[in-house]
Amino acid sequence: MNPIAQALATKDVLVCVGSGGVGKTTVAATLALRSAVEGKGSLVCTIDPAKRLANALGLEALGNAEMPIPEKAFEAAGLKPKSTMRAMMLDMKRSWDELIEKRSPPDKRDKILNNRFYQAMSTALAGSQEYIAMEKLWELRTQRDYPLIVLDTPPTAHALDFLDAPNRILDFLDNEAAKWLLTPALAAGKVGLKLFSFGSSYVAKTISRFTGTETLQELAGFMLAISGLNEGFKERALQTRALLAAKTTGFVLVTGPMPDRMDEAVYFHTLLKQNHLDVAALVVNRVHQAVPQAQWAAAARLPDPLKQKMEATLQEAEQLAAADARGIERLREQCPGTPLIIVPRFERDVHDLKALWETSQYLFG
Amino acid sequence: MSALAHQRLLIVTGKGGVGKTTVSAALALGSARRGLRTLVCEVNTKERVTTLLGRPEVGPEIGSLEENLWSVDVRPTEALREYALMILKYESIYNAVFGNRLVGYFLRFIPSIQEIVMLGKILFHLREKRPDGSWRFDRIVIDAPATGHAITFLSVPQVVLDTVPPGPLATDATWMRDLLIDPKTTGSVLVSLPEDLPVNETLELHAALTAKIKIATAAVVLNGFIAPRFTDAERAGLPPELAEVARVHELRAHLSAEAETKLRTLPAPLTRVPRIYQAHFARAAIEAIAATLAPLLDGGRP
Repeated sequence: MNPIAQALATKDVLVCVGSGGVGKTTVAATLALRSAVEGKGSLVCTIDPAKRLANALGLEALGNAEMPIPEKAFEAAGLKPKSTMRAMMLDMKRSWDELIEKRSPPDKRDKILNNRFYQAMSTALAGSQEYIAMEKLWELRTQRDYPLIVLDTPPTAHALDFLDAPNRILDFLDNEAAKWLLTPALAAGKVGLKLFSFGSSYVAKTISRFTGTETLQELAGFMLAISGLNEGFKERALQTRALLAAKTTGFVLVTGPMPDRMDEAVYFHTLLKQNHLDVAALVVNRVHQAVPQAQWAAAARLPDPLKQKMEATLQEAEQLAAADARGIERLREQCPGTPLIIVPRFERDVHDLKALWETSQYLFG
Repeated sequence: MSALAHQRLLIVTGKGGVGKTTVSAALALGSARRGLRTLVCEVNTKERVTTLLGRPEVGPEIGSLEENLWSVDVRPTEALREYALMILKYESIYNAVFGNRLVGYFLRFIPSIQEIVMLGKILFHLREKRPDGSWRFDRIVIDAPATGHAITFLSVPQVVLDTVPPGPLATDATWMRDLLIDPKTTGSVLVSLPEDLPVNETLELHAALTAKIKIATAAVVLNGFIAPRFTDAERAGLPPELAEVARVHELRAHLSAEAETKLRTLPAPLTRVPRIYQAHFARAAIEAIAATLAPLLDGGRP
């Protein structure tokens, strides 16, 4: 059985991972489409704000709420889905705000939402997008009942970020050292003595040479306001880790045939394996195909100078295909035991449901 | 006046996979060849510039590649250490303070400390002078992260200014921001490919860089350009299996022309870099790209 088809049948969460610019979002949408058409209702949650994907799905735009793909988009593609497909796009800032609104006590809410550290954390802090993607996955898995959720992931510059980022955010929010520092303040309900004595200590003086003392005060204020939420953050993060490691969760690693992208894929693959996560398949997207012998033969029969032009064109294609083939061979050696799926390069964009469906034919063999 | 002859800081960015590193390497090589002491910086990534230029890796310390050309892979841990040592002066104090768990925690919580020390290191070298008063580096080329990460990376001085009250960090963030937004010092080089997504992303990136961060776009490079090859008459006479090959080629040429038209709406000169077909992408390819980009660098010095 084709590894992707098998993953679709046995998993209820598929996470598409890989570097930017390799067609990860398209693969994610394709998986959800195939699933819905075959009768297992699906939701694809993308990160990519590309309007084109929304349009390809027959929607005006994707938002932070799940939208069903309209029936007429399926009809136009000649498809009769046996179940529903939904799509959404993760809006990082909105998701953070919703999380705070839902989880924080009413008297703390505005204090958190207006704090400069919160603003920075929810928009600019490295790892923040990865963390909120994980929170969203937890919410979708536990609060809704989609038979399949396909999660697209942020195009991480570094493979490790995606797995590590949630922990980094958690550590920010619930750090032992910081707790020790703030304990008297927490008990008193305001930033209290310990920070004051901390402020006069040698270490604090040195930090404040970098940041200024006010920064530390404000940070303490933020920690205090958010401290009540930490247990919840921690609890859900643990559950999400468990969810990612579950037998019913699979990872689809997407890469392109460029050497730098393949190096990243190998590294990513190693990390996933080290974390005992199940890699359902490694998809090599947009691969250049070798020139068929018949084309060379036909080109040889052309008159000059058309013959030279055609042979130059075939030669270029051959070189690209040879480079890709070498890369794929190396990938196969370096990721033993993981099924490799090659998707050829299409000479057109995926701009409607029909094109997405055709892409799925390659993914599913 | 050539588009890139006068800026001391060139920031090369664009969508993932468009060829930022090759363009960075080519611009650095071209600058060095014109007698400018040039430093090319990669930002916390797998080092590729040195390999592309056929040199051994240099790592996080500035290393000389050839005459007038240096390279460094800027990494956060090393950059933070350098920055801290610059302020604290003594290694023993650094170890005492930065070895502290609590300090480690606060440093991580200060938004984007990694980015600010990496950008800080690069901009520090931009201001660095030799004993005779001349610049240590006449030009620095940053092989910047891809679109979204580039915007985060380059906005960091402003983010720090918005988050952190006055203090040494804010002071540093101020001069860093001022260097970045000075169009006489700094220009971005936006790299694109002749495909819909990269082109649209380039247009958005230009808007974000100029409006939000206020970094001037100095040049646009359309990488992987494909020129038309077959006439309609030629295509009409081809057997079916080859007609498709010619159709695809002309479609790509058409996409290249379309991309060029869209990118020409940007207020910066566009340079085409022809698609390079080589199974092993190495020094020869960089030399060829450097030759193509020569008009951007000729006719002036910073």
